[in-house]
Amino acid sequence: MNVLEIRNLTKKFGDFIAVDNMNLSVREGEIFGFLGANGAGKSTTINMISSLLRITKGDIQLLGRDIVKDNKFTKMNIGIVPQDLAIYEEMTAYENVSFFAGLYGLRGALLKERTEEALEFVGLGDKHKALPKSFSGGMKRRLNIACAIAHHPKLIIMDEPTVGIDPQSRNYILNSVKKLNQMGCSVIYTSHYMEEVEEICTRIAIVDHGKIIAEGTKEQLKSIITDTKETWIGVKNAERLDLDALKQISGVNSVRLEEQTVKIVSRGEINNLNWVIQQLIRDQVEISSVEEQAPNLETVFLTLTGRNLRD
Amino acid sequence: MNVLNIALFEIKKDLRDKRTLIFMLAFPIVLILILGTALTNAFNSGAELGDMHLLVKNTAQSQQLQSYWNGFAQAISKEGVELTPAADGMDGKKAVQDNQYTAYAEIDDNGIHFYGSSRETISSNIIQGMLTSFADKYSLAAAALKNNPEAADAIIAWETSASSFIQETSLDPDRKPGSIDYYAIVESTMIALYACMSASWLIRGEVKRKTALRLAAAPVGKMEIFAGKVIASTIINFLCILTVVLFSKYVFHANWGNHLGSVFLLLFTEVLLAVSFGLGIAFLFKDDAVNAVMTIFVQLASMFGGAYFPVDEASGVFGGIANASPLRWANEALMNLIYNDDLQAVFPVMGLNTAIAAAFLVFVAITMRKREAF
Repeated sequence: MNVLEIRNLTKKFGDFIAVDNMNLSVREGEIFGFLGANGAGKSTTINMISSLLRITKGDIQLLGRDIVKDNKFTKMNIGIVPQDLAIYEEMTAYENVSFFAGLYGLRGALLKERTEEALEFVGLGDKHKALPKSFSGGMKRRLNIACAIAHHPKLIIMDEPTVGIDPQSRNYILNSVKKLNQMGCSVIYTSHYMEEVEEICTRIAIVDHGKIIAEGTKEQLKSIITDTKETWIGVKNAERLDLDALKQISGVNSVRLEEQTVKIVSRGEINNLNWVIQQLIRDQVEISSVEEQAPNLETVFLTLTGRNLRD
Repeated sequence: MNVLNIALFEIKKDLRDKRTLIFMLAFPIVLILILGTALTNAFNSGAELGDMHLLVKNTAQSQQLQSYWNGFAQAISKEGVELTPAADGMDGKKAVQDNQYTAYAEIDDNGIHFYGSSRETISSNIIQGMLTSFADKYSLAAAALKNNPEAADAIIAWETSASSFIQETSLDPDRKPGSIDYYAIVESTMIALYACMSASWLIRGEVKRKTALRLAAAPVGKMEIFAGKVIASTIINFLCILTVVLFSKYVFHANWGNHLGSVFLLLFTEVLLAVSFGLGIAFLFKDDAVNAVMTIFVQLASMFGGAYFPVDEASGVFGGIANASPLRWANEALMNLIYNDDLQAVFPVMGLNTAIAAAFLVFVAITMRKREAF
């Protein structure tokens, strides 16, 4: 059964089409990765799912019910973890969670129980009386999640929930997402960190210019790009590199430099490694390593959209 | 129920905002204290006079005049006039010019010659008045003496009529605000108007804090959020005003009259006006302009409304601005209520405040409904 069904969804701001005739479905019990560069249309889509923006055309159904006609029902069943921290710094962790849970109709003993449960879930049970301004970035992110789950939503939308936090907190949050999923929640997860998406998402959609350009499991997406390969060449004096010359080599689709590694995506059928190395020698660049990479989501994204996820 | 939850949460949140709370409470109290103390004289109709020194050269030969003069001298010395006999050859006028004496009087059988100080005009006028009174009574007594000596003695009965040499007359009514009374009223109404500042953040703050997103995603209507916030802001700001009024009444002993209930009702409508005005401006102008518009309005309304100094009847542009200040309406109504027991004075102002508040609230409610998200 589909938790979420999006059909022919369009959103226009004046003449600008932010979401263009999008079709998408999220199945019950899956963690659905929603990938797109900045401005691709994913936040607009998420905002329409959460009823923050009006739909220009098309429809969205949550648990089989139209989100416009059954607005209260759909809102009751969605939990939002916004990209920006949406908490009150001057109120305690408990008061924050309790207030938002109260808006979903929870009262009295049930409200107290669910608030404590949410805080325990994100590991802030012992900090319930503390003010968020005394929290680390990771703790604030966890409180941000607690505020979205106390009312036990069926679908949780997490928009970049791990931005700007330390690896420990990131692991904690990723484990929390998996746990929520095991408890029966479906999750829509967006992130700029491709490795997170690879680790936790069961299905992924890539959105570009307001359209879904690919959708499927990790394996299905990777199989799309068997016609390309990626080579990583470690270099010691990267400042001597002539990237434009590398791009001119036959079969090269794209070249990018990340710290001391040149990442080259080429057409699969062409063996151009010799020419690449000859160019590096001409540039008097010292080579430290050469690795042929198996296709990953980042390569898929780059190939399909022509840009990095973090662009 | 959601409205109540939102209102309670907002009140709790505002109570934690110590900076705003201290401003709303301490600012008016400090202003009442400073302006009320510093400008005390501006509100007093009296003036403190020091001792009055009268230099006297008495060359009169008439025993009767000498006798009456001695009685008069004793009587006025009790009133704070110190009489000093002029030494032989002393230039009395020069002594007064040199500021050694308040006035100089030469008495001889033909009458009294008076020379008063131009530096101490009030004191010298008082002495002149006393001497004129003496001269009039002496002339009357001298005339009476010819026919009825007993009547003459009764006329010159200095002991019993000493205080009547100068008749005190006041143009001021008995009930008039002192400086503390005045500033207690105007600072309370001013701080009520300041509620517009915090009210302008009621929705804007949620957007800036990003919590608007969560509120919009929750199954609560925009109008519930709006109502909860307006109620909370009105209550918390009114509680601040209530504290300032009671503090000024019981600590500074400011006069709030006999109709405290009506005073509070008027102040409540002013807070409501300020809150709805703040919300309205936040929806009318772009973010950066809101603070500027609000600050300019509050400062002009305060200045022309008499919050820093009393503003008398003004005409022209200034008069127009002054009359448009909600503080002026409120202050005038409160003065009338407190000092003239004029209950009718507050009703038009309460009506006007409520009507303007309603107009702004309707505008904000419609705008909010039309907008996507917040």
